[in-house]
Amino acid sequence: MKLHIHHETVYRYDAALLHSAQLLRLTPRADRDQQVIDWSLALPAPASASDDAYGNRQHLLVLDTPGDTIRIVAEGTVETRSNVSADQPLPAELFLRPTPLTGCDAALTAFAEGYRTLVTHHGREALLDLMADLLDRMPYLPGQTDATTTAAAAYALGQGVCQDHAHVFIAACRLLGIPARYVSGYLYTEHDGHVASHAWAQAWTGNRWDGFDVSNNCTPDERYVRLALGLDYLEAGPVRGVRRGGGTESLQSLAKVALMDQQ
Amino acid sequence: MHRIEPPAASIYDEMLASDLAVRPHYDEFLRWLNQQSAETLSQRRQEAELLFHRVGITFAVYGDDNDAERLIPFDTIPRILPADEWQRLEAGLRQRVAALNAFLHDIYHDGHILKAGLIPAEQVLANAQYQTAMRGVNLPHGIYSHISGVDVIRHNDGDCYVLEDNLRVPSGVSYMLENRKMMMRLFPELFARHAVAPVEHYPSLLLDTLRHATFADNPTVVVLTPGHYNSAYFEHAFLAQQMGVELVEGRDLFVRNDRVFMRTTAGHKQVDVIYRRVDDNFLDPLAFRSDSSLGVPGLLAAYRAGNVILANAIGTGVADDKSIYPYVPDMVRFYLDEEPLLKNVPTWQCRKPADLSHVLANLDDLVVKEVHGAGGYGMLIGPKASRAEIAEFRCRIIADPANYIAQPTLALSTCPTFVEEGIAPRHIDLRPFVLAGKEVKIVPGGLARVALQRGSLVVNSSQGGGTKDAWVLEA
Repeated sequence: MKLHIHHETVYRYDAALLHSAQLLRLTPRADRDQQVIDWSLALPAPASASDDAYGNRQHLLVLDTPGDTIRIVAEGTVETRSNVSADQPLPAELFLRPTPLTGCDAALTAFAEGYRTLVTHHGREALLDLMADLLDRMPYLPGQTDATTTAAAAYALGQGVCQDHAHVFIAACRLLGIPARYVSGYLYTEHDGHVASHAWAQAWTGNRWDGFDVSNNCTPDERYVRLALGLDYLEAGPVRGVRRGGGTESLQSLAKVALMDQQ
Repeated sequence: MHRIEPPAASIYDEMLASDLAVRPHYDEFLRWLNQQSAETLSQRRQEAELLFHRVGITFAVYGDDNDAERLIPFDTIPRILPADEWQRLEAGLRQRVAALNAFLHDIYHDGHILKAGLIPAEQVLANAQYQTAMRGVNLPHGIYSHISGVDVIRHNDGDCYVLEDNLRVPSGVSYMLENRKMMMRLFPELFARHAVAPVEHYPSLLLDTLRHATFADNPTVVVLTPGHYNSAYFEHAFLAQQMGVELVEGRDLFVRNDRVFMRTTAGHKQVDVIYRRVDDNFLDPLAFRSDSSLGVPGLLAAYRAGNVILANAIGTGVADDKSIYPYVPDMVRFYLDEEPLLKNVPTWQCRKPADLSHVLANLDDLVVKEVHGAGGYGMLIGPKASRAEIAEFRCRIIADPANYIAQPTLALSTCPTFVEEGIAPRHIDLRPFVLAGKEVKIVPGGLARVALQRGSLVVNSSQGGGTKDAWVLEA
């Protein structure tokens, strides 16, 4: 599937911003299942590019005199194939450790433990059940969680967005001894209205990484474009920044994914 | 003659043998001591205290609100090591640090030791101290731990054991240096009567090690401190001043084009080597803890690009973690094809069911430690603990077995020490500082720590321990 993506992110500040440093993970990964045909970033200043240890392409954008707005546009075309086992040479065990965002409290532990026997015997099939159960327990509902909400807090709240769903699913997997990781990216949907910027999880099912999109209760296919992966949102989210000054920050992010003509 | 309280029968004393005969390397010291009047010695001790206050060597103690900064007590009776004993110890330290550096290089590259099945991969790769960010990074000479502070104790069998390898930001070397200066000032005649191996060139060896940690020509070296609220701030300032390099905080540095620069009155200057005394998690708010104001945004990217060297490297903590400690002798055999020269303390890993049941059945006799703990916090010393303390610890272990290891209660050796009642044996350890670069350098001796309370086995300064000058006698 050939997809065109246009993703504009605008940060606005109500006071003078003195200094800003942002790490951008806004370049799709190029691998066996995903080919980047063209891609460009429009940034307010030159940024240095590098690959992190997970193989994510990142740009470090440092602004000394940023004014009151930072506009970031990522745009390009990606051709996707399946979306199951985009492999990379890292040992799966690296994705076993809980992070502050993906730890379990008593309630989340109880939920995950309920699946231990099933998962031991049925692997991926059981994780599909866990995913469906999870979405029942915490339906997709924006507004109550933010970038700092932990898996345990979102689970307790009984609702969340894709990021929370991914975190809770990952926390449950790791508790059960299954390596799991966070993936951020884009999702193409035929009907408008659903956000195109997205996040989901992958779990190691013995010999491959299987995708689990809790928010949509489905397994990612060629409609999904992967930007970055990591232990959690902090390691794989599209933008991570620190700043001095600026007062209150407001963020507007709009991603559009369009299907290109099939040739 | 001063009365010296004899050591306990089951304990090795550094000065007195079991028949109370003076060990030969203490002969001359004891002869001198007996020529001094009690008044003179007492005066000297007061003088030392006054001088230390003036120098400003203090140590912030966590959990002590009334007296947050206090002096670490200094004892004027040195720990003396004969030349041959030090040579053996030194060879063992070189070997151990070489193996630990080889291990760190291996686990951030191909992981041969994991593939060989010597250490369970999960124990290393899922360890909270393992930093995935270090994968794909190649360091000059393969050195990760440039500065290691290895804690060594002597058991009642007379042998030295390594208690822990401190490979993150080991501290205490400033006390080693100040203690020697103090002894030379108080008792110059002692140094005329003994051939004590010098330690005062440590800062120049350290600078040398840091300068050779990079391939950059004429590198700029800085010391990065969390700031003056840190318990070891004195040491950070001291070492920077002794080496003649800048002492900086995170806000003094910035990253541009994957390079690190320092703000100076004369403009910006690129930094090549950072002797960082800031923990991994606080180094870069874009990569580790987002709320850290102690670090430098973008530092990790600059580091991964090879444009700056951090000493020690990020992610060394996985090698000195108490859950990995039991495997160090295997590392020596695996990487160096040698037998370990230094002994490890036998360790039970509570994550293993058989070990766990042994530990729970023997809590009265064991020392139990948190795998990520340090500084003598979060540990249980079975023989010294109350019933309630043991019961509480038992619950903690059962709730999270993988978080604990246990060891037999070692009978740390004692050394005569000035206390209220006179001169009495107190338990001690030794932290030599190993500098690793193209070559390995160790100043003879190290920081000798002493537990000042009778019978106490906890020498950590954070737990009320004191220090001594450590002498290595030249052959």
